[in-house]
Amino acid sequence: MPCQAGSPSISAVPASNTIVALSTPPGRSGIGVIRLSGARALDFTCSLLQDNHFSPQPNSVSLRTIYDPANGEILDRALITYFKSPRSFTGEDMVELSCHGSPILLLHIVDALLHLGARAADPGEFTLRSLSSGKINLAQAESLRDLIDAQTHAAVRQAARQLGGELSVQLQPIKDSLLKIIVPLESSLEFVEDDLPPVIAERINKQLSDLVQCVEELAQTFRAGRLLKEGLRITLAGRPNVGKSSLFNALLAKDRAIVTEIPGTTRDSLSELLNLQGIPVLITDTAGVRASSDKIESIGIERTKRAIADADLVVVVLDSSIPLTSEDQDVFVEVGASRHLFVFNKSDILSHTYQDGSLFGSQAPVIKVSAKTGAGLNDLRDALLQPFMRDFSFDGGFLITNARHFDLLQRTATSLRASNELFQQRASEELVLAHLYNALNYLGGITGETTSEEVLSHIFSTFCIGK
Amino acid sequence: MSFDESFDVIVIGAGHAGCEAASAAARMGAETAIITLNLDLIGQMSCNPAVGGVAKGHLVREIDALGGIIGRVTDRTGIQFRLLNRSRGPAVQAPRAQADRALYRTEMRHTLEATPNLHLRQGLVIELIVEDGLILGVELQDTRRLRAKAVVLATGTFLNGLVHTGRRTYTAGRAGEPAAIDLAEGLKQLGFPVGRLKTGTPPRLDGRTIDWNAFEPQPADERPVPFSFSTESIEQPQIMCYVGHTTEVVHQTIRNNIHESPLYSGQISSIGPRYCPSIEDKVIKFPDKPRHQLFLEPEGHDTHEVYLNGFSTSMPAELQQELVRQIPGLDEARVIRPGYAIEYDFVDPRELSPQLETTRIKGLFLAGQINGTTGYEEAACQGLIAGINSALYVQKREPFSLLRQDSYIGVLIDDLITHGVDEPYRMFTSRSEHRLSLRYDTADSRLSPLGHTLGLLGDTAWERFNQRRQRLALLRATMDAMRVKRGDNLHTHLYQTLGCDLDNSPSLSNLVQRHDVPLSTIHHGLPPTLRTAVSLADVESVAADIIYSGYIDTQQSANERLYKHDGLLIPTNFNFTSLSSLSHEMIHRLERAHPQTFGQARRTPGMTPAALATLLVRLKSPQAA
Ligand SMILES: Cc1cc2nc3c(=O)[nH]c(=O)nc-3n(C[C@H](O)[C@H](O)[C@H](O)COP(=O)(O)OP(=O)(O)OC[C@H]3O[C@@H](n4cnc5c(N)ncnc54)[C@H](O)[C@@H]3O)c2cc1C
Ligand SMILES: Nc1nc2c(ncn2[C@@H]2O[C@H](COP(=O)(O)OP(=O)(O)OP(=O)(O)O)[C@@H](O)[C@H]2O)c(=O)[nH]1
Ligand SMILES: [Mg+2]
Repeated sequence: MPCQAGSPSISAVPASNTIVALSTPPGRSGIGVIRLSGARALDFTCSLLQDNHFSPQPNSVSLRTIYDPANGEILDRALITYFKSPRSFTGEDMVELSCHGSPILLLHIVDALLHLGARAADPGEFTLRSLSSGKINLAQAESLRDLIDAQTHAAVRQAARQLGGELSVQLQPIKDSLLKIIVPLESSLEFVEDDLPPVIAERINKQLSDLVQCVEELAQTFRAGRLLKEGLRITLAGRPNVGKSSLFNALLAKDRAIVTEIPGTTRDSLSELLNLQGIPVLITDTAGVRASSDKIESIGIERTKRAIADADLVVVVLDSSIPLTSEDQDVFVEVGASRHLFVFNKSDILSHTYQDGSLFGSQAPVIKVSAKTGAGLNDLRDALLQPFMRDFSFDGGFLITNARHFDLLQRTATSLRASNELFQQRASEELVLAHLYNALNYLGGITGETTSEEVLSHIFSTFCIGK
Repeated sequence: MSFDESFDVIVIGAGHAGCEAASAAARMGAETAIITLNLDLIGQMSCNPAVGGVAKGHLVREIDALGGIIGRVTDRTGIQFRLLNRSRGPAVQAPRAQADRALYRTEMRHTLEATPNLHLRQGLVIELIVEDGLILGVELQDTRRLRAKAVVLATGTFLNGLVHTGRRTYTAGRAGEPAAIDLAEGLKQLGFPVGRLKTGTPPRLDGRTIDWNAFEPQPADERPVPFSFSTESIEQPQIMCYVGHTTEVVHQTIRNNIHESPLYSGQISSIGPRYCPSIEDKVIKFPDKPRHQLFLEPEGHDTHEVYLNGFSTSMPAELQQELVRQIPGLDEARVIRPGYAIEYDFVDPRELSPQLETTRIKGLFLAGQINGTTGYEEAACQGLIAGINSALYVQKREPFSLLRQDSYIGVLIDDLITHGVDEPYRMFTSRSEHRLSLRYDTADSRLSPLGHTLGLLGDTAWERFNQRRQRLALLRATMDAMRVKRGDNLHTHLYQTLGCDLDNSPSLSNLVQRHDVPLSTIHHGLPPTLRTAVSLADVESVAADIIYSGYIDTQQSANERLYKHDGLLIPTNFNFTSLSSLSHEMIHRLERAHPQTFGQARRTPGMTPAALATLLVRLKSPQAA
């Protein structure tokens, strides 16, 4: 399609209809993506390229020079992708400019577009447009944010699934079963004089308990989903010189932390992101714990304690080349009730070993490794995820990752349980129904509302109502 | 232009909407005329001579609490009263009464004639006189022209009414009465969007030809619960109704002759109410149901006519006779009037304001079946609201409307004007998101103060209301304070009947929350002076307050969360097309519904959460206004 800059039919569209925004976090990297959406997206791009005949294939990328329309100076070389309405994220014409420019240059380009008549997008406006063009639904819009933040491949896959509307699909049968419970109860009190089949208490009971279980199972996936999204926090802790930093480097497969034979080398906590079987893991090396009069070291040890408290799992590192010391004992006291496992490092020099569940009265597993040779590292990697395996359904099943969804599902389950309790006490239907409608509303918070008209329609298609 | 007579308000139609409208407007001081086709058929019940039921009974109570008349007239002419859902919670209990059809008409006419400022006129309105978007009056077929500042149109099923019995069709507003054709065409010319709906009625039988022993008797309540707060007792002798059933034989005959039914031959395409299906529909849509329930309802004390409830049909008359005879117990029965279906015009109620005034013509109000509803109670409550507002309009006073959370009337009108109708609209308690707080026994506390302010509630009624309010407050205080201690008579009695010891000396209010203490026992346990002052019904009301209060609180907070933006006003000149990111479909839906609040927009059918989010973002942003 040739560009129609200045043609009356296009300029008749209010300028504020085409929005622009820098869609990569400012200042993070040298590459920045500028997005345009709206009827004049291509039009404005033509002006930036100083090429009124620029008519790219939709969904293809072209490398072009960008000029400042004010003075014709070259601003950047950019990759330009054109998405034609309605087959774009927002459903409108869209252009994405991937530029190399510095943050300042990127802002300069955005400025130029504003001058041309584009309007700065409100926060979330791209998503909102996408929402309202029916391209995505509310649940999808929320997982979109997750996709942008996704840190590892598995998390990306999960985010992409929700984007596919899978959450709504998952919830549909739940909503249907809920309606199946509501229909006979509602009918029995609304259509008293009709001769309806009797409400069978055991059946409703069973349906309700099944439903509660179903909703709870889905809600339970949130822990795993959250782990996927936010990652696991694992802290390496131990007395000085046991080889925490060496282990840290070995797991990361790079020389990240300073290692010396001097006890007390690490002075401050140090965190790095690690990908363990697709799960993002934030691993933290810490200052060795011991009684110290050194001011800097004491502050470092305080931070260690905090890192222990924050961790999903604490790895208590011990030195297998010498017997356990009272300092090792002190470290374990610090770990307290936190979930933990023991690692006997320096297995290459090995002498002292311990059985699982025999250390300090703890049931936690014991792993032997050598940070130096890499022996046992794979065992360690497995052991790190082991405590969380129950949370994951590693068959790649569907997971709840959004805290709002989790919250709504939990409320749904609570309402359903309350209604079942009342039902068992033979409370009057309108009370049981009050909770069931609450549950329906909570589900509606994810998938969109179920109107009373829909409920009535279900009733009329289920029963022969009316005199 | 010359006029024969001049009024403040003219009400067209003396059906259930028209009677309420005229009565309210006149009692609020407006010189009011009610014009109807036939003065002998004022308040005619076109179909089943029964008022009330679940949700509908609630509407009647609300009308009564505001000062309307349907409740009182039904109480005076009801020949079978039953409180439905007696075994269930008070929020879903409701009275239903079968009226003596002829007595009801007489009583309604008498009520209107006794109303000061109200003038009855017989005639067929053929035209609305409108100038510059303002109503001026009406013209009758007999050439009279009547002037009015406001007009309430309550013509029911009469607009372009077309009756079907088998293949025969004829224009009629109801069987035996002419349709309003000119008026219907006039409305279209004025630009009103008009649709078509359908309804039907069953045959009436000669009671002398029925074998009553073949049916199961269904007695009236021993302790009839009246509709009106002002009714002390029901005076009409109560009659027996009877329940019977169709058989497979009947169903087979229907299936064999289904092509004879205008509903299935393609002769009728308009939509009828799903909750009042014809017997043809029941048999075809639910083929597995071996029998369908029927009610035999005598139409009055002084007639043999019996209404065959549950057997609505538009089959040819002779086939109706044959089908009736196949019903056990009706082998010899003769049909007096055959059933029929009727198609009629209705006006899209999205044209209306919450006061039921049209946006197109100032001073013109629409009420009743013309707005796409079905049922006497639904019609009556609209009549009341339109009547009140026509008087307020003439008197240049503030318009009046009701909220969803305060009344079923508010729910009904809000549904109508935001959703429009796809099928005849009937009230159900589930249509309200506030069901537990809209009890039939609290209609007075919700609405009577409003009725009093409007001038619709007389001094006696107002005093009665205040007395009841005080009585209930005293009762509640006593029930909260009075504890049942070991050694009390009540304690001993409960110990004997419940078989369990009551620890911690529970208050009467605590006892009510158990499911197993009968309220008559509580009533009995009250201090003697209070016991004689309050009725069992009073105890039931207070008990309901206690039982529901927890739910109402949690529901209210849940509703607040869900509906917290509902009150957000949408400016009258708001341009939905300016929501650039909304799809055309969403914009179209919003423009049609022209919601005045975010709540109305939220309830507009087909709105996506996303579209609502967009609208909400705009309404909440500073440039919205
Ligand atoms: C065949 C049939 C079956 C029905 N079945 C059911 C049912 O199953 N369930 C249910 O709930 N409801 C049913 N109804 C509906 C119920 O009767 C109505 O909902 C209710 O009566 C409507 O009240 P209204 O006041 O709006 O109109 P109506 O009661 O219809 O009254 C209209 C009044 O307007 C007058 N009028 C009309 N046109 C003019 C004119 N041009 N000039 C002067 N006067 C005029 C008429 O004389 C009449 O008095 C049925 C109605 C019919 C006719
Ligand atoms: N033989 C052998 N030596 C190791 C191994 N792991 C660590 N070391 C040595 O142990 C010493 C201490 O290692 P670090 O990794 O600095 O120990 P740390 O626990 O981080 O000590 P602090 O930072 O002081 O708390 C260094 O000299 C390492 O080379 C191992 O697996 N085998
Ligand atoms: Mg270190």
